[in-house]
Amino acid sequence: MLKIFQRFWQVNWAEQWQYRANLIMYLLYWLVSPIIYLAVWTSIANTKGNVNGFTANDFITYYMTLLIVDQITSNIVIHTFAYKIQDGTLSGELIRPVHPMLTNALVNNIAFKGLTIMGLTPIWIILFFLFRPDFSNITLSGILLAIPAMMMGFFIGFLLSAAITALAFWTTRVYSIHEFYYALILLFSGQFVPLTLMPKLIQDIAQYLPFQLLIYYPIQLILGKLSSAQIVQGYVMGVIWLFVSIAIFNWVWHNGVKRFSAVGA
Amino acid sequence: MPPETISVENLSKTYQVPEREGGFGAAVRSFFKRKYKDVKAVQQVNFKIARGEIVGFLGPNGAGKTTTLKMLSGLLHPTGGKAEVLGFTPWELKTDYLRSMTLVMGQRNRLSWDIPAADSFLLNQAIYRLPDEEYKLTYKELDDLLELEPLMKKPVRNLSLGERMKCEIAAGLLHRPKVLFLDEPTIGLDITGQARIREFLREYNKRTGATILLTSHYMADVTALCERIIIIHHGKLKYDGGIGDLSRKIAPFKLIGVRLAEVNSHDLTKYGTPVQNEEDWEKQYIQVQAEDVTRVTSRLLADLPIHDITITDPPIEDVIEQAFNQ
Repeated sequence: MLKIFQRFWQVNWAEQWQYRANLIMYLLYWLVSPIIYLAVWTSIANTKGNVNGFTANDFITYYMTLLIVDQITSNIVIHTFAYKIQDGTLSGELIRPVHPMLTNALVNNIAFKGLTIMGLTPIWIILFFLFRPDFSNITLSGILLAIPAMMMGFFIGFLLSAAITALAFWTTRVYSIHEFYYALILLFSGQFVPLTLMPKLIQDIAQYLPFQLLIYYPIQLILGKLSSAQIVQGYVMGVIWLFVSIAIFNWVWHNGVKRFSAVGA
Repeated sequence: MPPETISVENLSKTYQVPEREGGFGAAVRSFFKRKYKDVKAVQQVNFKIARGEIVGFLGPNGAGKTTTLKMLSGLLHPTGGKAEVLGFTPWELKTDYLRSMTLVMGQRNRLSWDIPAADSFLLNQAIYRLPDEEYKLTYKELDDLLELEPLMKKPVRNLSLGERMKCEIAAGLLHRPKVLFLDEPTIGLDITGQARIREFLREYNKRTGATILLTSHYMADVTALCERIIIIHHGKLKYDGGIGDLSRKIAPFKLIGVRLAEVNSHDLTKYGTPVQNEEDWEKQYIQVQAEDVTRVTSRLLADLPIHDITITDPPIEDVIEQAFNQ
């Protein structure tokens, strides 16, 4: 099994390199919104002293960490897979004795990350010198706790996106469904603004949704802002959502493939 | 395990195709209530294929060949009937089944477009869990037969159609499948390319004892390779038997097309049976017995002001219509 992933990695890595110019454009597009939030909130906090207790440095460290966490936990499976279902090229992969989504597409996403992180690094360093964040609150234990949390977040996000992607077995409108899903992420994950600055109601809902596990929870872990009880609660939610996402994905995939083979692959 | 490698019983596939008339009113109505039309792609097809046979699956476009092949390889659920291949029901997509068969369909299947074929081959080695020794041996054998080595290092998108087909077929055979489903393996290739693929398949079958079912709408493909032919037309099985019986059944016709100085200026009835050809209005076509071709051609050339003349096999649609619809 390891060898399968290794070979998929070689192929996908080589493929991603072929499209590196495309990748850089994608990365730049991706970076625009967090950098704008970073600039706007920092200047507001600078003029007002703080926003609900958030100082300029709090905003800077939050968004600088978000840039990294988001790179690690997000995925592009909708863009690399849905079209294969729609134009039928998935057929070739379906009759190979390995799972198309859980091998090829998964590795493809990780290879994509490998390259975007290489692109992100210089940009991050430039931002560092521009905004001079004070990261002195960060501890090693915070980072060590955040690593498994980010992996969990990635897999939850990947499986949920994969489930939405697999809706392409039924509908050609899968991209608009994914847009809606992305709106939920913006609202409930802490991508737009740190969740503590959101209305109480949204914060309460967000706690039980998977989206904050992708962004807000790992950031808070890294920045050392969580109590032990909150850390435990986050991990418990993570494990629950991981199992829920596995179940959702399996169900959608299984029925989707069945439908695919009924209507004409 | 049953004695046959492939056994198909009353296999049927009906597609539901949405349909509506043109125009705005029809578009609005279909938004609320869609009408579907049943398209019977395959109807009650029966056949058995023994281990090691090469069977040609022949029929015009839209006859149901590809649908049948997709059902046998597991990509499609039938709407009726049964099929068993190597003791498996294909559409259950059991891993053990997927490891022992291959489906080669079209040009863009197992090879990644952007990277050299060598990388895709290694990926297939891992996917099918082939030990290094076994993989090298099979690769060497395929290289002997298809001369792959010079193609391996170029990105697949830079290969020619024929080169790509060779690589596709080889990639589909690395795991030494016991059953091969080949959908139009020679489509788009020139004569030498076609001959080469045929030669290879014959040799592969001899060496490994694999069972091969291939579709084609070139008569020549099938006659060169298969002793047994299955003909399917409008989804129904029309013929299943030896190639010799088939040639006796199908009168050997040729089509002669002539372009005259003036279009339609002469009546060709006395040379052979006139045939309509909508696509090529500049030429007039007649159908003649194969043995008369030389005689008729020389007469035509002597009698008429001919600018261009072609001699071709009649389209397989016509051959089948003539043989089975009388």
